[in-house]
Amino acid sequence: MVHYLLGRFGQALAVLALTFTAAFLLLQVLPGDAIMIKFMAPEMALTPEQIADIRAAYGADLPLWERYLSTVGQFLTGNFGYSIQAGVPVSKLLLTNLPSTLLLASLGFTAALILTILLAAASNMTGMGWLRAGLQALPSLFISVPVFWLGIMLIQIFSFQLGLVSVISPGPVEKLVLPVMTLAIPISAPLAQILMRNIDQVLTQPFVAVARAKGASRSWVLWRHVARNALLPTLTIAGVLFGELLAGAVVTEAVFGLSGLGGLTYQAVGNHDTAVLQAIVVISALAFVTINLIVDLLYPVLDPRLGSKVGATA
Amino acid sequence: MFQVQSRRFIIGAAASLATLSLAGLALGSGNAFAQAPVKGGVLIYLEQQPHDNLYPPAGGFYPNGGVLNQITDKLTYQNPKTLEIEPWIAESWTVNADATEFTFKIRPGVTFSDGTPLDANAVAKNFDTYGLGNKAQKLPISEVLTNYKGSEVVDPLTVKFFFSRPSVGFLQGTSVIGSGLVSLKTLSLPFEALGDATKIIGSGPFVVTNEVLGRELTMTARQDYAWGPKNLEHQGRAHLDGIKYVVTPEDSVRIGALLAGQAQVIRQVQAYDEKQVQSKGFIIYAPSTRGINNSIVFRPDNPLVSDVRVRRALLHATNTKEIVATLFSENYPQAKSIIASTAQGFVDNSGKLAYDPALAAKLLDEAGWTVGPRNLRQKDGKELVLTAYESLPQPQNKETLQLVAQQWAKVGVKLNVLAGDAGSRVADNLDPAKTPVAPAMVGRADPDVIRSQYYPTTRNVLLQKGGVSQKVQNFSDEKLNKLLEDIAVATDPVKRLALVGEVQAYVIDQGYAIPVFEEPQAFAASPRVKGFTFEAVGRPSFYSTWIAPK
Repeated sequence: MVHYLLGRFGQALAVLALTFTAAFLLLQVLPGDAIMIKFMAPEMALTPEQIADIRAAYGADLPLWERYLSTVGQFLTGNFGYSIQAGVPVSKLLLTNLPSTLLLASLGFTAALILTILLAAASNMTGMGWLRAGLQALPSLFISVPVFWLGIMLIQIFSFQLGLVSVISPGPVEKLVLPVMTLAIPISAPLAQILMRNIDQVLTQPFVAVARAKGASRSWVLWRHVARNALLPTLTIAGVLFGELLAGAVVTEAVFGLSGLGGLTYQAVGNHDTAVLQAIVVISALAFVTINLIVDLLYPVLDPRLGSKVGATA
Repeated sequence: MFQVQSRRFIIGAAASLATLSLAGLALGSGNAFAQAPVKGGVLIYLEQQPHDNLYPPAGGFYPNGGVLNQITDKLTYQNPKTLEIEPWIAESWTVNADATEFTFKIRPGVTFSDGTPLDANAVAKNFDTYGLGNKAQKLPISEVLTNYKGSEVVDPLTVKFFFSRPSVGFLQGTSVIGSGLVSLKTLSLPFEALGDATKIIGSGPFVVTNEVLGRELTMTARQDYAWGPKNLEHQGRAHLDGIKYVVTPEDSVRIGALLAGQAQVIRQVQAYDEKQVQSKGFIIYAPSTRGINNSIVFRPDNPLVSDVRVRRALLHATNTKEIVATLFSENYPQAKSIIASTAQGFVDNSGKLAYDPALAAKLLDEAGWTVGPRNLRQKDGKELVLTAYESLPQPQNKETLQLVAQQWAKVGVKLNVLAGDAGSRVADNLDPAKTPVAPAMVGRADPDVIRSQYYPTTRNVLLQKGGVSQKVQNFSDEKLNKLLEDIAVATDPVKRLALVGEVQAYVIDQGYAIPVFEEPQAFAASPRVKGFTFEAVGRPSFYSTWIAPK
């Protein structure tokens, strides 16, 4: 197990290093850079000599490998540099935006999970065919609803019409209610689809019939036998959905005017703010790697067969 | 028919009421309806975009100006009605005969919010930085301070500035947003640290007391503020206790929040949303930006548009009346020249700007562009296909360019409208081969704006040789540049305005620019907000603003 963990950890580090390098190279390939966008815009009205001075002051005229090495060095010492567009240190931008996105994403994800389980459970427990069909169709609806439209509708109804929550100067809890709903609905859709389909598949297995024959109730079978088996593929998708979550956060944050990584990424991409993007890519890669590591470690807990397999190869 | 008319009347009435209340506050409480201003309260202001770098010379970006205008004072005040330069931090000034030396007397007792004095030394340091830049701190030179040589502190309250060439525009240049005065501590910071609003220490009526980057700014009124522009009726501290700036990117959320009472003032109201706001009794403010009109300019270095007949043909193929009627409102007046009709030196050139597709077709025929297959004009095997990038800060610019493309298609010219990422946009906009056409607009209430817009070493919108672009082959217009230089050095105001008139006619005759409309800055406010005013080019000022009780 220790060997397995070390191996996975090494893989994770390699992924991070590769992501860092790829991001650095790709950001250099883009036409133009943040300095050009900021200082060569006509409203700055600068001369070519003045721009050359500024490029030299930022070290933008150094060869690629030199800039790469200095960026690596900076990252290793925890210095993410400055955002040329925003005019503040990248670390300050991250400090403002990362916690709120993490909170929004984790709450949104938890809400999505709860919604998924409720939907799957309700559609399987109900005896009424039409209700079951209706509930099973919901995820398709959820996935088709554009996030920005959903957010605007929720704001219009709950804030502007009913006056239940304020979106402009909300309290700390108040400000999360509508964004979490907005984020949870589209995220729950693929999860619910997969969970429902898996439950249907597992229900056709012979052991379910055996359990029922032994006198187990429908819900007993669902929770004790079916759920554990149906959860595994759902978990895999949940790990991958993190990216979706970040993308959803971009729109959600823009609609609700929340600070967060989504809006920061959007701005940084627009302005080729390399220092900010580099930090965001590394942080996102770190999050992806961590989540997938956790998911992989959870498999054997949910399915003992996978655990013994790991033991066999180790 | 009647309904349409009555609705128009109501909108007209609402607009004139808004003007009246503005005028009433500006002229004083002369009318019977005037209420005494209420002290206190925090106003919530919704901005579409977060501010970026707040180095004052980079304050032209409207979200930046909206912040800087509350926290910094300027040496002089440009009266937004008369455009005269009036005393503010400078009590008086003298200019030598050839406009190369300017002496300012500083108002005594002014302090920055960190307690340090705003004296002749501080003013000199501010302009030395803005006029000469600072390589070590990466601070660029201000657009309004060309030919700046240096300063001299004559005594603690007298400062003198020197220019290497006559610089008539400098006096007005001391009143603009880019010349906001900041403390010596702020001036010692590097460029990349100036995006933090709490670091911008000014002497203005409000102070930034808290900032959530990219999301929210809290401004608090300075209790000891006693140096507002001398000729304003309101003196002393601001009426409001504070302002909360909240960045709300989504248009419908800003408008919804205003109508629901969650905010009092919002910026950036699109023309198609104006009626919705006014029908609920809320007020649209659309102050003019008084500079270069929202226009389409050509880059004659590109052989496709190097022929004046082609450019003039496209000018006459553009139906600006249709653009304004389709996409905008009465707050966006159809352009009559390349500068706004409220700008200094404006000359009505509407006779030369008439929509005339027949003339356009004739001019294109004369230039040798004949209609080929696909209804597209061609010459020597080349098709007349032009490209422009949309400009994000301009209102509905993509829609405007697309409508222009439809109008040009009628005379056989294709215009591709690109969105593109910021990098490609900036790079391609410096390359006349890639962007023979570009949208353009500047707000500044001084004739100098026209020089800044067209002169090669400043904004250089026509992309002449000698500017920041390395891609220009050989285009240069000596006659235009001579006229522009003359504007910069003309010390006689009458002669200066005459030159501004000449440039307007010349640019239009050469078909260098197609002016479309006079661009306003559009705000909406609750009817309870009183005394909401604007500096000369439409940036909000909350100094005299107060909120009437319900």
